[in-house]
Amino acid sequence: MQGGNHINFAGLDLGSTMTKVAIIDEDAAIIARVESHTGAEHRHLANKVMEQALEQARLSFAEITYVVATGYGRINVPFADRQITELTCHARGIASLFPSARTALDIGGQDAKGLKLNSDGKLVQFVMNDRCAAGTGRFLEVTAKTLGLELQELGNISSKSSGKVNISSTCTVFAQQEVISRLTEGVPIADIVAGIHRAIASRAVGMLRKLQIEPDVVFTGGVAKNAGVVKAVSDNLGYAVLVPEDPLISGALGAALLAKEITLKARARGEISPRARSTLGEATFFD
Amino acid sequence: MVTEKSIAASQGLDRAREVYQDRSRRVKELKDEGKRIIGYIDIFPVLEMLTALDMVPYCMLGDMNEPVTRADSCLPPMICPFLRSVMDSGLKGKYDFLDGVVLAHTCEVAEKMTHIWRIYLKPPYLHFIDTPHTTHPTALAHFKDLLNDFKKTLESFAGRELSREKLRSAIAAHNRQRQLVGELYDLRKPDPPLISAAEFVQTNVALISLPVEEGNELLRQIIAEVKQRRNSPARQPARLLVWGSIIDNTALFEMIEGIGANVVMDDTSMGSRAYMKLVELTEDPLDGLAYHYLVDLRSPRTFRETPLTENKRKDYMTDLENRFSHIRDYAKEWNTNGVILQVLRYCDTHAYEVPALSHYLDSIGLPSLYLEYDYTAAALAQLRTRIQAFLEIIS
Repeated sequence: MQGGNHINFAGLDLGSTMTKVAIIDEDAAIIARVESHTGAEHRHLANKVMEQALEQARLSFAEITYVVATGYGRINVPFADRQITELTCHARGIASLFPSARTALDIGGQDAKGLKLNSDGKLVQFVMNDRCAAGTGRFLEVTAKTLGLELQELGNISSKSSGKVNISSTCTVFAQQEVISRLTEGVPIADIVAGIHRAIASRAVGMLRKLQIEPDVVFTGGVAKNAGVVKAVSDNLGYAVLVPEDPLISGALGAALLAKEITLKARARGEISPRARSTLGEATFFD
Repeated sequence: MVTEKSIAASQGLDRAREVYQDRSRRVKELKDEGKRIIGYIDIFPVLEMLTALDMVPYCMLGDMNEPVTRADSCLPPMICPFLRSVMDSGLKGKYDFLDGVVLAHTCEVAEKMTHIWRIYLKPPYLHFIDTPHTTHPTALAHFKDLLNDFKKTLESFAGRELSREKLRSAIAAHNRQRQLVGELYDLRKPDPPLISAAEFVQTNVALISLPVEEGNELLRQIIAEVKQRRNSPARQPARLLVWGSIIDNTALFEMIEGIGANVVMDDTSMGSRAYMKLVELTEDPLDGLAYHYLVDLRSPRTFRETPLTENKRKDYMTDLENRFSHIRDYAKEWNTNGVILQVLRYCDTHAYEVPALSHYLDSIGLPSLYLEYDYTAAALAQLRTRIQAFLEIIS
């Protein structure tokens, strides 16, 4: 064992809406965490958020032993040593946060994923929706705009709902037409928002049922920050879902944990896992 | 005017790639030499009968890179995107050079499209073979009658008789092709396989674009070339079998083979299904042809009755065995560790099989991934993540 040399691992999760970075130490404790809006220029963003995370951890890039990139923008990380899909990384991260998890639901800005984990915390099956906005964060964004509300207010507002409103459209755009119809009928906004939450929960759980849901069910992703949707999903399932304190970090955390696993396995074989890149640079292969 | 016969400068895999990229070139040359070129779709039209009358069968395909803009005028949107693309190509004049068309009742969309093709494109000759959907003896007898009807319209169109000798000769040539393709499939058994799935698709597409004898010669060249090659595909951690809808384009396989898997076997419409069994040489050749084109072709569009159990019940697992055991056999023979179930969106014929097939594959411990896509190049990006995640699970 090398005395005095600490090993650290980084995971980057480049989502369509948010970019997340986690740096962990050899005991898998999180020593830095950054979450930033991806924006349109995400191919130049990866190194910037990495620099932020390194500053937080008070490390230089050379002190990171291995980097795993995940998320839909994972190919835009030239300094990553390996790219692993967000499905595998999320499973890993969720299993470490909740060892009892067997099913996971991740709803992001533009997609939704269902994961099935075995008792070792390994991904065994998955289902994805990345073609239809109706079961994703986009659905809530569009709704908030229609109602003149901030996205972050939706959860709180729905908690004041007393009446039941059904939004039946399966399409985000047509659902907004229903929302407007309800408004003109004088239905309270709280009830409409609760109806929207039930609609998204129904879409998400419908997708999840393809995996044969087994508790404990963990709910992650930006949409899991909305207490109203969490309640709607739990109501739909008939039992409470578990939500991590930071619902956004599971992908990056899982990526960092996999970076550690890969390194330790390589060392057990007598190899030193080589860094793909030793410097932190912007993606240049598009220019 | 006799055109200079073009001598193919390239051979083997190079020639296959050439034909794949410019499919109609050879048949247009043959047309200039006076041959009749007859278009068909899928694997159910009986090609031997065309070859026997010295006509060249030419398979019509779609174009994944061409947006469908004309087909909406005559076909509903939520149907097989491959057939919509074929119709679109037809409406854009791509198949105007054909002397005629033979279509079969492969599926509901193909059937409806036959009649729509006749109305909108008015081919000089069109015959529809109403292939039955079951393999009962009565269906087989009926199918032979239908082939006799086809023989009559063909003879009328050709202006000469379709003799038994010519038919036997054609069957021998097409059987030879099936045997040669079988040999090529065998060369995918080693680890790594000697030919990539993308090269195989190019070969496949070349075969359905050339007269049978030229296809056979091409296959001999390819087999010899592949056996000696030094640039075989690289070995990858996963070996996959791909099941499902027609694959007429290298894009999907290039993508899969670029992210860590060798695709070593298939059970698809234009792939192994057409080549795995030979036509039996019967006294009346139509008997052998009828049996082959109804019973031998293993496609989900054909319903295969499972024998009842002793107490006259249907047993679910026995039914699954009856329908899918050949996939288990392929997986074993080609040593695959995963199956991709790829289905074109709206293809009911294949989609309805997926729950039972997934269940069967689970029961024999073979991991599978279900992919649905819409026959466009753009759709492949989303498939990439799913396939990569699947490979991360099984590797």
